[in-house]
Amino acid sequence: MIRIAIIGAGTGGTILANALSRGLSDELRTGRAEIVVFEGSESHVYQPGNIDIAFRGSDPRVYRRPPAKLLRRGVKLVEKPASLIDLNNRTVTYNGGEKMSYTYLVVATGSVAAPEIIPGLAEASLNFHRSQEDARKIWEELSTFKRGRIVVLTNLPHKCPPSPVEAVFLIDEMARKRGIRREVEIVYATPYTRAYPAHAIADVVEPEMEKRGITTYTLFNTDYVDPRAKKVYSLEGEELAYDLLIAIPPHRGAELVINSGIGGEEGWIPTDKHTLKIKNHDDAYAIGDATDIPISKSGVVAHLEAITAAESITSQIYGTGKVYLFNGRINCPLEMGGHRAVFVSGTYTREPERQRPSITKYLMKRVFNRLYWTMLSGKLEPIFNTYLGPPYDIR
Amino acid sequence: MRHVVDARGSFCPGPITELVKVYRKAQAGDQIELLVTDPAAKSDVAAWASKSKNELVEVKEEQGYIRILIRVTSKGR
Repeated sequence: MIRIAIIGAGTGGTILANALSRGLSDELRTGRAEIVVFEGSESHVYQPGNIDIAFRGSDPRVYRRPPAKLLRRGVKLVEKPASLIDLNNRTVTYNGGEKMSYTYLVVATGSVAAPEIIPGLAEASLNFHRSQEDARKIWEELSTFKRGRIVVLTNLPHKCPPSPVEAVFLIDEMARKRGIRREVEIVYATPYTRAYPAHAIADVVEPEMEKRGITTYTLFNTDYVDPRAKKVYSLEGEELAYDLLIAIPPHRGAELVINSGIGGEEGWIPTDKHTLKIKNHDDAYAIGDATDIPISKSGVVAHLEAITAAESITSQIYGTGKVYLFNGRINCPLEMGGHRAVFVSGTYTREPERQRPSITKYLMKRVFNRLYWTMLSGKLEPIFNTYLGPPYDIR
Repeated sequence: MRHVVDARGSFCPGPITELVKVYRKAQAGDQIELLVTDPAAKSDVAAWASKSKNELVEVKEEQGYIRILIRVTSKGR
């Protein structure tokens, strides 16, 4: 029997399991194949919802569901975290020592926000990348903030490239709504050379920031934070005082990846950016934030890599000889406040292009927030394919 | 000590991210050799070196890639 083990039931793992269950429905029904998903968390969290929790006070429950409710019938869910991956012996260890062998493996373990990497950062800052609870604390703090300097501090690497800029714009919007904007200084510090890494998008974002009185510090790589003095110090020799520090912490790979010795000390799995196979392995894939592929760590990338990997595995199983190559497509909404947004879209070979912020794009983002749970099932793939084309080339 | 950072095939902000990662652990007097294919990295790294007060020693076009050499001069001042 063919067994496909998927580690992690986040965006990538869930979409992959559901796509495979469609592609291999005959094999699953006759018992010639099984799909096993390992997930230790009780909740699947729609992470972009953290923006709404932190800056709009949204109810966190709206943005989480039990993983079992999101997987198609026929997919087996092991509600225990995997504790070790052995790529050479093709086994996954879980539940305190039980081992399961696999025919194909997909690692979809995501990334972890780790403020503790930078001295003083965990103690000094709030963040909306680690959990819904952390995001909620930002909302509570911002709701009572009256005057002073709010610093939004970006550290690399991190997931969701638009999120720091979105945070800045939504803090500005919130301060205006509360009538305290004149008493609040908003500072955005980023390690990039511009306010957004893609220059065409920076061309849109920077004038808007200037118009709203937001100060930007570029090439600011955090060295350490002194929580007592309430100051951030950069590797480039600058210091920045704050009254409220909202950080986008540096991220690392999952502990499982680090402990299994398959992702170096930072936990990013060496992965071919087109085939999505873990380097030097023909039967193991990595998708989403877990990889070392130089592409944004985002839900859309996890989604499109999952679709590509599902096609590849199905092709391997049926021996079609087709090789599916991910084209590096990204398509991330960036909200700019005032009910306007842009989409950061590109591929490995096509840089994002300059565009005008619009209400339509903002509404598309809001609608997608609602459609996310349906999207996980795979029912919307024909629509995505019709409008955007497949996220892969076939060789 | 000479550190080689191979960021070929990576677009902005990949090269500068890789550079800063190595810079965090580098000592005064070390050299960092950055290999890139993204032409935008030339101006990004020059801006970073200027701001961080490190020395941009050389920017050289090689066969199919760019070699950028930085000497760490800001640490230990």
